[in-house]
Amino acid sequence: MKISYSWLKEYVNISLAPDKLAHLLTMAGLSVESVKRFGDDYVFEIEITANRPDWLSVIGVAREIAALTGEKLKAPKVANIKAGSSVAGLKVRIEERSLCPRYTARVIRNVKVGESPAWLRARIEAMGLRSVNNIVDITNFCLFETGEPMHAFDFDKISLGEIFIRKALEGEKVVSIEGTEKTLDKSMLVIADGKKTIAIAGVMGAANTEVTGATKNILLEAAYFDPVSVRRTSRKLAISTESSYRFERRVDPDNIVCSSNRALEIIIKIVGGEPGPLIDMGNKETKKNAINLRIEKVNKLLGTEISASIMKKIVLALGIKIKGSSGKKMALEAPSFRCDIKNEIDVIEEIARVYGYDKIPITLPKIVEQPTRFDRTMVVRKKIRECLTALGSDEIITYSLLSRKMVEASEASGDSIVGIANPLTNEQEMMRPNLLSGMMNAILWNINRKTKDLKLFEIGNVYFKKDEKYGERMHLAIGITGENAVGWVRGSSGANFFGLKGMIETLFMELGIEAPEFKCARKNGFLSGECAEISIATESVGMMGRISGKVLHNFDIKENVYMVEINLDTLLKYVKLEKRFVELSRYPSVFRDISILAEKGLPNAELVSAAKIAGGSILRDIRLIDRYEGKQIPEGRQSLTYRLEYCDPSKTLEEKDVLDIHGRVLGELEAKFGAKLR
Amino acid sequence: MKDRIKVITEEALKEIGACRAGEDTVEALRVKYLGRKGIITELFKQIGSVPAEDKPEIGKLINILKESVTRSLDEKSLLVPSAEEKAPPIDVTLPGESGHIGRIHPITRTIDEINSLFVSLGFRIVEGPEIETEHYNFETLNIPLEHPSRDAFDTFYVSFEKKTLLRSHTSPVQTRFMEKNRPPFAIVVPGRVFRPDATDASHSFMFHQVEGLVVGQDIKFSDLKGTLTTFARQMFGKEVRMRFRPSFFPFTEPSAEVDISCIVCGGKAGEKRCSMCGGKGWLEIMGAGMVNPKVFEAVGYNPEKVTGFAFGMGVERIAILKYGINDIRLFFENDLRFLRQF
Repeated sequence: MKISYSWLKEYVNISLAPDKLAHLLTMAGLSVESVKRFGDDYVFEIEITANRPDWLSVIGVAREIAALTGEKLKAPKVANIKAGSSVAGLKVRIEERSLCPRYTARVIRNVKVGESPAWLRARIEAMGLRSVNNIVDITNFCLFETGEPMHAFDFDKISLGEIFIRKALEGEKVVSIEGTEKTLDKSMLVIADGKKTIAIAGVMGAANTEVTGATKNILLEAAYFDPVSVRRTSRKLAISTESSYRFERRVDPDNIVCSSNRALEIIIKIVGGEPGPLIDMGNKETKKNAINLRIEKVNKLLGTEISASIMKKIVLALGIKIKGSSGKKMALEAPSFRCDIKNEIDVIEEIARVYGYDKIPITLPKIVEQPTRFDRTMVVRKKIRECLTALGSDEIITYSLLSRKMVEASEASGDSIVGIANPLTNEQEMMRPNLLSGMMNAILWNINRKTKDLKLFEIGNVYFKKDEKYGERMHLAIGITGENAVGWVRGSSGANFFGLKGMIETLFMELGIEAPEFKCARKNGFLSGECAEISIATESVGMMGRISGKVLHNFDIKENVYMVEINLDTLLKYVKLEKRFVELSRYPSVFRDISILAEKGLPNAELVSAAKIAGGSILRDIRLIDRYEGKQIPEGRQSLTYRLEYCDPSKTLEEKDVLDIHGRVLGELEAKFGAKLR
Repeated sequence: MKDRIKVITEEALKEIGACRAGEDTVEALRVKYLGRKGIITELFKQIGSVPAEDKPEIGKLINILKESVTRSLDEKSLLVPSAEEKAPPIDVTLPGESGHIGRIHPITRTIDEINSLFVSLGFRIVEGPEIETEHYNFETLNIPLEHPSRDAFDTFYVSFEKKTLLRSHTSPVQTRFMEKNRPPFAIVVPGRVFRPDATDASHSFMFHQVEGLVVGQDIKFSDLKGTLTTFARQMFGKEVRMRFRPSFFPFTEPSAEVDISCIVCGGKAGEKRCSMCGGKGWLEIMGAGMVNPKVFEAVGYNPEKVTGFAFGMGVERIAILKYGINDIRLFFENDLRFLRQF
């Protein structure tokens, strides 16, 4: 909200320079965003919080300044105006009492609509509005001054002088003062005459009764409209005005008549005219909020030692009435303009605010020892990040919301995808069902910027719909592409399946996950010959492999990409971070290599598991150290070299023991797979 | 025999001493004395002809001779540069070779830092769902359905019918936690939140927040000030000044906006051109306040018995201030030239 420094000064003595005043207001909760020179005046841009409609006027802010500085508010005194008594020609009927609890109207005849005087124009323009004519400018002036929005109709255009406050007809069309046609529905409150709608209540007037240069007689409206109703209408029609902004925050019902009289006074002074009597319909009594304030409670909650007399001074300065007080308590009554003060806590806040947050001491809370500091899933995620960064992978964070195109590009589909009902753009239509799209986008972004050797990972939620319920689960994705460049000595190798698999195996080892299984699989998005399903204890935890040509094409990536996506919620079940010491063997291990020729399609995993069974507990470890096919190897065969580690925890292995077991292992591989020793 | 040994000792050591290191002569001398037909080897062979009673002594003397000749020859040959030592030096200015260590994303890094700061103050870290209900996102937090206070919380809906949405703040975790736990407690809630804001350098429709909540028997506004002052000093430096301004949030009362003195210009007056604070001298870092009694009522706590404070901050905002980043979109573009700076 804009507010003028010189205008404020009319209603309260201000000895502070504009920047000092801005600071005072900011520290009292009226956040001054800027102070700008405007002619020989200064205009403050103030952010008013939603709970303080009473600050949405010059008088409201002046009242606050008075309370903060101990000055007196000098609100304009409205002179008694002799009004005619004839109500002839005006009839008001409120059909919706709950949406319009109070409505006032007054006819002023023989006004001379024209340009506003310079002082009025200056005020209106300082508020950022354009001067229209003297009548409209005066209603706006009073809106800013008093906070009560008012509307002036061309009275002669109101059919039969009848006013109805009723709901709009479904589908009814009305052209607003701004000249745009709006379609109303039957939930909206309107001001109408016997034939047509003449205003959208509290939001905007209609063009059909606009005050123009030709207007002779006007009808001045000041009312209280239900905040929720005005808000709904304003949102549905996408019209937000100075008027609707105030009504939806609630105007002061006790200020209506006073504001109307104030407008009249100015009209008579600068436009002239003969006022009729004020028609005042609806509730004239407003209920005041009564609050009990406990002195001790204030200090206990704030951690202060504010005396009762200071508290009294503060509440009185804010216009709160003290109806009674004992040493420990005060019975208070909030003024009608303070709809936000309903409970004790509201008054405590006011005392803290005016007393000054900066005067409240600094202490530390007594915090009771918590049962845990981090949940297990957080510990595991941290461990994963540590391990993957140690393996040279960089963490990325991508958007949870994606365009439909991006989701489809990842080859994900189906009813389980969660959509967004009100996306702002088509970039946010869907919630990601996987981490693949985000990974591909990050890879493309970097490749396009000439960073082509990438190892990226992301940990984040993916979202799904199941049985009409929405859910989310945590995934981990790793994507690699380009060269894995070690350096000029060791050279580099292109991204490949086993480089990625090695990262996963190392990660699992770090997480204490035993015996993950990699099985040849097929899945949308992956090249069918280079795709594996990863499972632990027969439960599937994720998929890995080379991204299919189609998906690469969808994302416009020309390099090979290998990716894994793991369901962390499932993986978590198998994570074992607790460590337990295992005694070191006192006897040395013996290493033996085995080179065999085996059929080409024979999976390594089968050979290893057969060897392990044959080797028994003495065979500590078996590791592939070389694989070769091609020259010197018969067609359809592969040469495999394994390194076997033997160790007996109870004695030093002798040559003959090793020969014995080693022979058994080889025999088993020969018998089972026809593998031949090279 | 003894004399002979003595003579040989003197001659051998003299000869070895005289020979120039780095010459083949060291090896030639080794052959001369220790070779299969060497002088000392021959001496050993002659022990047989020595009278039996002298054998031990003579044997010992020859051994001593052998040892001292061997040692002298070894010492001499150590001075001989090997072929490796003769090779020209390597280019030590060639680059070293080692794997690259990946980087943690600056948002994760900032969350970790905030978390550990609060953990050291005794807080527990808690998380909650990103797909939420109106009930937790708004109602239990005293945000009425149709009130201007909801304007600050524009929200993505997954289904209007089912009143299911993407949480617009991490505060719903507050009430979710309170429903399942009894005070006293102190928690911090990091997480991802969503608001339908048009994306530009300072707005993003997705960002991260860290929420804090402390509830107990005697929790005061002064505790809130103390906790957040401790936090800000550790996060932004000891010299940082704090400012608590009255504000409004439906779920706290009294509420405060928390500012720190500008970390670029130090908040000195007159720095009108400061690129960070624009001359204001202060930077907004979070919202905070005492838990509104209505929130306690919504979760079945008695507001006469417990009080508490809550605070919430934008992680991107903190990271932007801490690292001097100028565009929020950088966090989600994942440009490695950006990520590898942290």
